[in-house]
Amino acid sequence: MSTVFSEEQRDCLQELINVAMGLASDKLARFLNTFVHIQVPAIELVNSAQIPAQFEAQYSSAEAALVSQGFLGNDGLRGEAIVLYQLENAHRIAALLGYDTDNASELEMLTDISSILTTTFLNGLAEQIDNSLSYSAPRVLSSRQNNMTEALIETACHWELALRVDISYQLIHHSFNCDMLLLIPGEAVLNIQQILDRIVEEY
Amino acid sequence: MALPVLICDDSLLARKQVRKSLPESFDADILTAANGVEALTILRSQEIGLVFLDLTMPELDGIGVLEAIKQDGLDCFVIVISADIQPEMQKRVTELGALAFIHKPVNPEKLVVILKHYGLI
Amino acid sequence: MSDDWLTGPILEQLSSGVLVVDEEFQLVYLNTFLQRHSSVQLTEAKGKSLFKVFADLPEAWLRRKFASVLELQSPSFSSWEQRQYVIKLPHLRPVTSSSQYMAQNCTMLPLNDPSGRRHVCMLIEDATDAFVYQQHLQTTLQKLEQSNRVDGLTQALNRRYWEEQLKLEVQRAQRYQQPLSLLLFDLDKFKQLNDQYGHLGGDCVLIELTARVRGLLRDTDWFGRYGGEEFGIVLTNTALAGAMEVAERICLAVSSKAVTFNEHSIQSSISVGVAQLDAAGERAHEVLIGQADMALYNAKREGRNRVVSYSAGETEFQLKTN
Repeated sequence: MSTVFSEEQRDCLQELINVAMGLASDKLARFLNTFVHIQVPAIELVNSAQIPAQFEAQYSSAEAALVSQGFLGNDGLRGEAIVLYQLENAHRIAALLGYDTDNASELEMLTDISSILTTTFLNGLAEQIDNSLSYSAPRVLSSRQNNMTEALIETACHWELALRVDISYQLIHHSFNCDMLLLIPGEAVLNIQQILDRIVEEY
Repeated sequence: MALPVLICDDSLLARKQVRKSLPESFDADILTAANGVEALTILRSQEIGLVFLDLTMPELDGIGVLEAIKQDGLDCFVIVISADIQPEMQKRVTELGALAFIHKPVNPEKLVVILKHYGLI
Repeated sequence: MSDDWLTGPILEQLSSGVLVVDEEFQLVYLNTFLQRHSSVQLTEAKGKSLFKVFADLPEAWLRRKFASVLELQSPSFSSWEQRQYVIKLPHLRPVTSSSQYMAQNCTMLPLNDPSGRRHVCMLIEDATDAFVYQQHLQTTLQKLEQSNRVDGLTQALNRRYWEEQLKLEVQRAQRYQQPLSLLLFDLDKFKQLNDQYGHLGGDCVLIELTARVRGLLRDTDWFGRYGGEEFGIVLTNTALAGAMEVAERICLAVSSKAVTFNEHSIQSSISVGVAQLDAAGERAHEVLIGQADMALYNAKREGRNRVVSYSAGETEFQLKTN
């Protein structure tokens, strides 16, 4: 099984992702009623075994969180979306998003933001390839208390390929960075390649 | 006579999508550019009637191209086609002289409406 | 072919709650599961505001959740781990659970009716089992943590944990420039006692002595078993004079009353060494232990059942002999 993407497939995937991110960003801005700007993300295909090492330095501090959400669509499209955060700005963001710090926990806010980001983005992606997705509930795999790297190693070992999408977005005057990772099993990669080939052929 | 049209996008797929979205009745002579620098080279060396311009590109982005067109006084219509569709961005490109703003993925029907509106078909 | 004959009955038999509201948050549907648990009848509640029908909902929170589902046309979720329940419902395990209400996992989905009007469908899963297991796990972990700190026989802190606390208290005392004293004491003639009454007799004395000492301490003092019959007490915010008083009281509490074991009356006593922290630096706690130990040694030498404080001259003695 080839997990190597051709130049054309890669270009196609990048474009689909750019458009999906644009849709997500717009929806998010309308929903929050504030200016959200999401930069066009850089995507990178990586062997999932390399993931823990890649993120260790960036997220090894105690002030980081990892939220995971599974997705499942037609044509064998499935995987797990992971959002990684630095928690530095979490409280300020919570206030901006209208969370009362007393009745909504930090974790609840994190799962909400992750879920909104993940589902709006993936819905945008699915829409473009005439697919639709269902989602599992988001789960906080690791936060202040737990070891981030361990959680990442544990998760990454279940998957073969990871699509790393670096997202950084800005909310009013605060920039808020997070990384989104789409972890995809081998057979789903094959399915995605077929989908991409079909799109490239169409045009 | 065919209208010289430039499609500027760093994605091959996006360039193909735009090309395919153009109505058959549209008599165009199509050139392509993969970034802002390439686009400006073409715009400065020959007459181009209409530019389909992406915003996020390497080398020089769409905003940079719009600014250069304005500064150089280049005479062409620009339709921005972008994945970044937030109102603030729309406002910005309109201020820089873009004729219209279309969000990706391109909807061929909407494109026809715009082309008709400006008398391009 | 229509699947209505399937979906209708299954929806009614489902062991999960299904609730649908329209854009104005008016109740459109409640399945049997929810009607039964909440004692709300759909026929009566239909068309009414969700927040009127279920008065104790977290309204602001739920409105925001529903708004995101409607606006983004994306699902939203709520987990019992972060919010134990959305709708207050009794659960069916009144005996096994410490919680009164059903723990819930909720999924909120966008749903459009045939005419395209937007709705939100909320699925409510009973997660009480997971909630109960989690609580058991937490209690167990707490017990485990406790047993990792405590000496099994005497219930005083074990040596490892006690030393950790000593080290932290020494650092704190240095930082805030507060006095800190240490008592080390030893049960006199413990070997003899064991030979005479057996190990059970010795254990009995240790247990009784620990209980008496504990009764004389403050919540902020750290009392640990340092070795077989040797104990340590960290007295926070206490200078030498105060520490001497505590030591005298402890000494008296042990010797004044015999311990009863199997009809035997066992008379016992302790020797106490007292030292106040005056060393600086990272190894200050070790120096302090050495000083209290030196005082304890002198208490033994001077005839036992007594309190002796460390005085500076003995450092030289210690240095010479080492």
